[in-house]
Amino acid sequence: MIRAHFKIGIRNVLKNKGFFALNAGGLIIGLTSVILISLWVRSELSYNKELSNYNTIASVMQNRTFAGEIDTNIGQAMQLAPILRNEYDNHFKHVVTSTRRRDFEITYNKNIVLAKGRFAEPDIAHLLDLEMIEGDRTALNDISSVLISESTSKSIFGDDSPIGEALKLNSNLDVKVTGVYKDLPKNSSFEKLNFIAPWERLKTSQNYEKRLGWGNRWFQVFAQIDDNSSLANVSKIIKDIAKDNNAKDTGNPELFLFPMSKWHLYSEFKNGLSVGGKIEYVILFSIIGIFILLLACINFINLTTANALKRGKEVGVRKTLGSSRKQLIFQFFTESFIIILFSFCIALVLASIILPQFNTITLKEVFMPFNKLSFWIASFLLIIITAVLSSLYPSVYLSSFRPVKALKGANDNNKSPLVLRKTLIVTQFVISSVLIIGTLTVVSQINHVKDRPIGFNKDLLVSVPINNDNVLQSFESIKNELLQSTYIDQVTASDVKVTSTYTTNGGFDWKGKDPNFEEEFYTIRATHGFGKMIDWEILEGRDFSESFASDSLAFLVNETAVKYMNLENPIGEYIDWGGDGDYKIIGVVKDMVTLSPFDPIVPTLYVLHQGDYLNFVNIKIDSNANNVEAAIDKIETVFKKYNPENLFSYTFLDDEYQENFIAEKRTARLVGIFSIVAIFISCLGVLGLSTYMAIQRKKEIGIRKVLGASIQSIWKLLSKQFIMLVVISLLIAIPIGYYFSSQWLMEYSYRININFWIFVLAGSVILGITMVTVSFQAIKTAIANPVDSLKTE
Amino acid sequence: MTNSLLSLNEATKTVNSGSNKVTLLDNIDLQVKEGEFISLMGPSGSGKSTLLNCIGMLDSFTGGGYTFLGEPVHSMKEKNRSKLYKEYIGFVFQAYHLIDELKVWENIETPLLYKNVKSSERKALVADMLDRFNIVGKKDLFPQQLSGGQQQLVGIARALIGEPKLILADEPTGNLNSKQSTEIMELFSKLNKEGVTIIQATHSENNASYGSRVVNLLDGKIVS
Repeated sequence: MIRAHFKIGIRNVLKNKGFFALNAGGLIIGLTSVILISLWVRSELSYNKELSNYNTIASVMQNRTFAGEIDTNIGQAMQLAPILRNEYDNHFKHVVTSTRRRDFEITYNKNIVLAKGRFAEPDIAHLLDLEMIEGDRTALNDISSVLISESTSKSIFGDDSPIGEALKLNSNLDVKVTGVYKDLPKNSSFEKLNFIAPWERLKTSQNYEKRLGWGNRWFQVFAQIDDNSSLANVSKIIKDIAKDNNAKDTGNPELFLFPMSKWHLYSEFKNGLSVGGKIEYVILFSIIGIFILLLACINFINLTTANALKRGKEVGVRKTLGSSRKQLIFQFFTESFIIILFSFCIALVLASIILPQFNTITLKEVFMPFNKLSFWIASFLLIIITAVLSSLYPSVYLSSFRPVKALKGANDNNKSPLVLRKTLIVTQFVISSVLIIGTLTVVSQINHVKDRPIGFNKDLLVSVPINNDNVLQSFESIKNELLQSTYIDQVTASDVKVTSTYTTNGGFDWKGKDPNFEEEFYTIRATHGFGKMIDWEILEGRDFSESFASDSLAFLVNETAVKYMNLENPIGEYIDWGGDGDYKIIGVVKDMVTLSPFDPIVPTLYVLHQGDYLNFVNIKIDSNANNVEAAIDKIETVFKKYNPENLFSYTFLDDEYQENFIAEKRTARLVGIFSIVAIFISCLGVLGLSTYMAIQRKKEIGIRKVLGASIQSIWKLLSKQFIMLVVISLLIAIPIGYYFSSQWLMEYSYRININFWIFVLAGSVILGITMVTVSFQAIKTAIANPVDSLKTE
Repeated sequence: MTNSLLSLNEATKTVNSGSNKVTLLDNIDLQVKEGEFISLMGPSGSGKSTLLNCIGMLDSFTGGGYTFLGEPVHSMKEKNRSKLYKEYIGFVFQAYHLIDELKVWENIETPLLYKNVKSSERKALVADMLDRFNIVGKKDLFPQQLSGGQQQLVGIARALIGEPKLILADEPTGNLNSKQSTEIMELFSKLNKEGVTIIQATHSENNASYGSRVVNLLDGKIVS
């Protein structure tokens, strides 16, 4: 029996190729999207899970209160870990101080490679359960040692053993390879960790012991709790350690453990509370995935029931030949199953082909886990869910035909399937419209922020990192040599890039300051000429000037800072900075976007550089010469001359600025792609329904034409009801779209108000595409010869 | 052979058309014995097809009694009814109603699938039937590749494969030319002699003459 079903199923497919193409096409596209989304979601949810101690590792974080706002940060003082280790050892297995993962240059035999690494305490080998290929986990106890990853060892030493080889880190720190560990899992916080060097070494070489106190929260502390403790409990126990050990700290620090299971997806905090993070995208795309699957199933239902007219006769014949309804249901289900199975296989191939592009957009390394049983179980479930959702109703419906009527070729006269089909179409339109509204919101938000005036000119600005003291000491020579070139206009140096400031400072005092106010200012230190170079606008007062020696104790402040300090006449006021002396405000600068353009402007103080704080050389390429290539060549030559030990690298601040949009652009692209998929599938559904209606009204249209109706009037007749469906859908979709869009926008302080045109545009897109699709069928019906359509009776 | 095959006792069929009640069949009394060959005659709309459909249990009477092989069809559940007709009744249609996607032999085989006959047995029965109707050479063709007469031959073969006691034929020659019609009617006649009971609806006096009895219908009533 089942063989007979398969046979007739396949023959039906071959006979109705167009129908099959529509049906399978929708399913293939839908399933491909679902497969890709599922792979991505799976990868996001399994982040870090490959690490051995996933459930017991946490990082120590702290909440501090500034101006009534709780700020959550991962940075800790170097004094913390020893206390946890010594005084709370019954709660922890391992506690490790580590620097953040940073970029380094590794020099071996004068060859330089770029690498990412951390300085960490020796226990990190146990905490991460490092699988040692050479050497053992105690290797980091040797202060001059370094552990490198297997892939790093391969790239530097090939197949030779690296043990005992001498490396230089950032051209100034000599280390010796004492161990090789297997690369840490890709989909984890410790991926691409090329080396681990002993924290003790950094501490000694930088003289941290003397220099750093509880206020210098520069490091990360990882902890693995004891098997008998719970993260929540230990979190409570350690809460006050920072406060108790640093009475001077007025930020009311509270420590807590942030479990590894939350690092990736729940990394955002607002006022001390976890407010999600990437999990929102996981949820968003899961919903989109479910919707797309739903769309594909709805499509299948629509097309299959529309095709029922053709199959009606067969149902009638089979029933007279003794088929039971159950057998017919089974037959139709089998037929659908063939199409679904086929579509799934194609979708799997298609998804594999698209996967690299998908990975480029999502910045992930998702792969098809063909070798995993769970993958096949999930695939099987997906097929079953799709089959049940999409073919149960059509099978039941088709098999319900009464044989006498079906044989006469009469339509089912109960209206419910048509109502159902219309409901399904409305559902499709609603989903598509919401996705379009979402896409338009994201895109216009991005454009809005892109158009945001940033308050300075970032064009032709290049910044080169200052990697070592040679560059710092020879800055003046570098500057002079560069300025000799006609391609280069100005040269300055600063501690941060103006497009991404990150240094904050406290401990300020000024006239009228509320003693309980815990202030936090962003600071930018730079050499003379920095402001002129970025073309800032001075609203009051003056720029730093070399003719005033007193400017070494002077601030320029931005508008926001003036408001922040509540100063009426800022010029000439003095600000005390941590007892360093009184700084005089000499000028007010127009607000500039120095963080992400999505964020609000922060109170910022500009100060002339002192000591060794400079991290970047900023170079303005001459806009008249406008020869970027020649300018870069010149910069490279000069830097190589003064700093032959390091690799030369540079960034355009414009590019740096654009990076602020990467996450949003990615969201826009993905939501955009999936809305196109949704619209496409919905169109197939519309095509199905309009075909059905055209067949159903064939006779009526024939008669109308005989009576003299024009093609135009028939087109109108057939299209009218779809306009109604679109209008109903939009009425439902607009509030939903509005809700989700405003929720998404809430995360940005600099944001658009959702504009009416978004809905108009979304509506027009849906309506336009629907009309084209419907017209395709309507015109075909309208121009058909009426004699042919009347003959069928 | 005088066993009663079926009997209708004041069988009535009414349908609602809008607010009007329309009587399609009006108090039909009919006894059919095994081995009879009955021709239902009457003008279009007189109720021939409706009567055939109701006898074939594809449709049901709305009043009166219907007994088939001693079983009261009128009080049966749909499921049992379908069991009954699956077992004992074969249909032949004016428009043949072959399944387009199935080859000749597969069309003939289909009723056996629904009777859960084993594969080997099905093959044998289909082969016999193809042989008997002289269409072995056409067994792998699809219905559209056959002439009308040949299609109807397949239709009859399909109706017969389940060895029914009763064949219901609704205008079996309506779409055929006279030569083909004669062949089909002769086939029916031959089958009837072999013991199959046949009820046919027809317009043609000539066709009716093959039968053993003529029942005339007019406006849903038996007039003679």
